[in-house]
Amino acid sequence: MRNNNFYKFLIVFMSTISLCGCWDIKDINKRSIPLVMGISKEDDEEYRLTLQIPIPKSNNQISRIVTEKGESVASVLGKIRTNSENAVDFSQIQLIVIQKNLANNQRELRSLIKFLMGSEEIPSRALVAITDDNVDKVLSNINDKLGVNASAIYDYFNKGVGWAPELLNTPIWEVYRSPFLSTKDIAVPAVRAGKDTVLVFEGSEILRKGKLIDRISPEESQFINMFQNKNVKGKIENLGVATVMITNSSVQNKTSMKNKKPQVLSDLNLKINILERKEGTTNNRIRKELERVTEKRFYDLLKQTQSSHTDIFGFGQQFHHLISYHELKDWRNDYYPNLRVNFEVHANME
Amino acid sequence: MKNIVKEIKSKFSNHHDFFIEEELVDKTAIYLIGFNTLIDLPKSKLYVQQIAASSSSVKALFINLSDQIEVDTEQLLKAILEGKLVIVSKDNEENVIVDPIAQNLSRSIEEPKNESAIQASMDAFGEDININIGMIRKRLNTERLCHSSYQVGDLDKRRLSMLYIKGRTPNILIEKVNQQLMQINSDIETIDDLNRQFGKRRLSPVSHLSTTELPIQAIHSLKKNRIVLFMDNYPFALVFPNLIWDMFSIENDRNFPFVLTFMLRIFRVIGAMATVVLPALYVALVSVNPGIFRADLALFVAKSREGIPLSAFLETILMVVIVDLILEAIVRLPKSVGPSITMVGGIILGQAMVEAKLVSNLLVIVITAVVIASSAVVGMQNSLYIRLLKYPILVLASLFGILGVWTGFIFTVIYLASLTSDDIPYLTFKIEQEGDTK
Repeated sequence: MRNNNFYKFLIVFMSTISLCGCWDIKDINKRSIPLVMGISKEDDEEYRLTLQIPIPKSNNQISRIVTEKGESVASVLGKIRTNSENAVDFSQIQLIVIQKNLANNQRELRSLIKFLMGSEEIPSRALVAITDDNVDKVLSNINDKLGVNASAIYDYFNKGVGWAPELLNTPIWEVYRSPFLSTKDIAVPAVRAGKDTVLVFEGSEILRKGKLIDRISPEESQFINMFQNKNVKGKIENLGVATVMITNSSVQNKTSMKNKKPQVLSDLNLKINILERKEGTTNNRIRKELERVTEKRFYDLLKQTQSSHTDIFGFGQQFHHLISYHELKDWRNDYYPNLRVNFEVHANME
Repeated sequence: MKNIVKEIKSKFSNHHDFFIEEELVDKTAIYLIGFNTLIDLPKSKLYVQQIAASSSSVKALFINLSDQIEVDTEQLLKAILEGKLVIVSKDNEENVIVDPIAQNLSRSIEEPKNESAIQASMDAFGEDININIGMIRKRLNTERLCHSSYQVGDLDKRRLSMLYIKGRTPNILIEKVNQQLMQINSDIETIDDLNRQFGKRRLSPVSHLSTTELPIQAIHSLKKNRIVLFMDNYPFALVFPNLIWDMFSIENDRNFPFVLTFMLRIFRVIGAMATVVLPALYVALVSVNPGIFRADLALFVAKSREGIPLSAFLETILMVVIVDLILEAIVRLPKSVGPSITMVGGIILGQAMVEAKLVSNLLVIVITAVVIASSAVVGMQNSLYIRLLKYPILVLASLFGILGVWTGFIFTVIYLASLTSDDIPYLTFKIEQEGDTK
C-alpha cells in the first residue's frame, strides 16, 4: 500500500516536470533586457522598431541600439529575437516611444496599441510617449550623455509628481482604454531628444478616440495632473512680480445639472511659498496675481478643449450619477461643449 | 543454605567489578554484595558498621538499615544491577536491600549548554532524573503537579517520568500518553525511539516532542496544559505535544517588556519564513520570472550575475549544501578546531567563490541571510527541520518560478497542518483546558 502511494507520487511528480517547460528557462544574465522600444514607420511602408538594450557588463552602463524593419510589429519582434545573441526578454520594457507621423494615423495607432496591449510579453504598464524627432535619435541620445544610467529614460518618467508636476505618465492600458470611454480623454506626453539632458518634455498630445487632436504646453498639462488630484507640489511659477513655489494643491469639484446643462464648481486650493519678489509687492498682490494667472490658463485650456470636443480633465466622470448611461455616450458632443466650469483658485501662504 | 549467595555469584561471574565482602556482626557473618563501580564500598561499609554498633542483633541491624527485608532472589538480582547494596546473612535466613553511599556518577547542576538564556535563571536540567523532577517541584509548589513514573524497555529498563498538572492538562491526553508509555516494549535509547511510540511519523521532520533544557520553560509548558516527560540520564525535559509556536517563543522572552517580547518573536517568524522562502525566491526571480523586478534592480542583478557559468538553481543548491555542511562540521569538530574551519569556510564562501565567478555576490548575501535567519528560531531541532523544508521549495521554484515558491510554501503549510500528536494538531496555538481538578 505504502509502496503503491510512493509510485503514484512519483508518476505525478514526473508529469509535473514535463508540464513546466523548464528547459526554456534562461537566467537573467543570459537574457537581453530592452528597456525602451521605439516604433516608427517610414514612407508608410515598413515598421521600424528600435530597442535600447543596456549592456550590464561594464561599470558605467552603456546601451546598444538594435534596429530592425518589417511589415508588422510582431514580425519585427520575431526578427530581433532571431538575430539577437541572447534570449530577448521584453518584460522589462518601460517606455514605448512612437514617432509622430505614425501616431497621426488613427487606424495605425489603434491597431498598434491593440497589439502592444494584447502581447503577453510586453507589459501593459509600459509608458507611452510621442516624439517629433527621429526615434533612433531619442534612443541613442542616452549613450551621448555623461554619467547617465541605462535606466535613465525609465527614471525620467518616474520622478513622481512632487518632483516634476508637469510631467504626465500614461501607460499603454490607459491609451488602450481611452477609445472605449465616453467621458474622458487622455493626454500622452510628447518628448524629444535633448541637447544636455536625455529627454525634453514638450507638452502633451491630446488623444481623442485614438486620434491625435492637439498639443498642449507643459503648463497646461499640469492641470491634468491637478484634476486627477495628484499633489503638484514643487511647481515653480513666475508671475512677473514674484516667483512662487507651490507646496501643496488639492481640487474639489461639485457637479450639478441646470437646464440640462452640466455645471461644475471647482475649487483649487494652493499652498504657496514665495521665493523672491520685487520690492514693495504685498503678499496679497502675489496671491491675487497667481489666482488670476492660473484661472486664465485654465479657462483658455477649457475653451480649447471644448471646441475640439475632448474632455481631458475627465469632468464627464463626475456626471455619471446625473446623466443616464445612454446619454453619457454623447457626452463629448452634446454636453461637454456646454459645460460651465466655475473655477476658483484659492492661494494661501504657507 | 548458602545457595542464594552462590546463585548471585554465579550470575555475576563475568563481572569483575562485582564484590562479595564478608563482615562480622554480632558474631554472625554477613555478606555485602554489589558493584564497586556503583557503590562507594569503604564508605558504605563504614555506614553498615556504624548502624551495626547500635543494633542488638543481625535482624535488628537489617530492620534499621532498610524496610526491604526478606525478598526473593529475583529482586535481589535486580537491586544489585540498579546499584543497591544487598546484604545477606551467612545462614541465608535474612537478606536486605540497602541504599548505599553511591559513586558520584552524575554532574551537578550546571548552566544550559544548548540554549542560551539571557536575563534568566541559569540552571539547566542534568542527567539525574530525580534531580530534574526535584528542580521542577522546587519551582512549582502545588499538590496538583502529578508525577507518574515508568520503567520501560526490553534489554535495559529505562526510567521515564511523566509530569502534568491536574486540572490543566486534558484528561484524555494524559490517558493516551499513559497508555502509550505503558505499551513500550522496545529499548528507548534516543528521543526518536520515544517519539515513535506516539504514532507514525517515521518520515516526518517534525517531532512529537520538543526539548528544553530550562526548568522555567518546562514549568511554563506544564502551566500551558501540556505534559512534560523526563528520561533517565537525558538532560532535557521533553514537552508533549510539540506545537509550532514553540519555535517562536520561549518563556524567557517575557522577562523583557511586552514590546520587546513581541519584537523578538516577530523576528523569529521572519527568520523562519526567510529560511524557507529566500533561496527559492532568489532562484525564481533570477531565472524564471525576472519580469517582476524593477528595471534598475533587474539590471543590477543581471550585472552581478555576469559571467557566472552555473545556472541559478545549481549555484544556489551548491551554496545551500555547502553551508549546511559547514554548520554540521562545526558541530562535529572539537572546540579547538572549530573556529579555524569557520574562518576557512567563510573565506572560501565569501571571497574565493565570488572572485572565481562561480557564484554571484547577491547569492552570497542571500545565503548569509538565510543562515543567520535559520538560527533565530528556538531550539536546534526546529532550526534543522526548517533548513530541510527549504529544499523542496527550492526545487519547485527552479521549475515553476514564483508560482512554485508559493505553491511549495502552501503545501508546506498544508503538510504541517496535517500533523497531529494524539489528535492535537501541530498548528494549534493553545491546548484548551479540559482536565477536571478532582
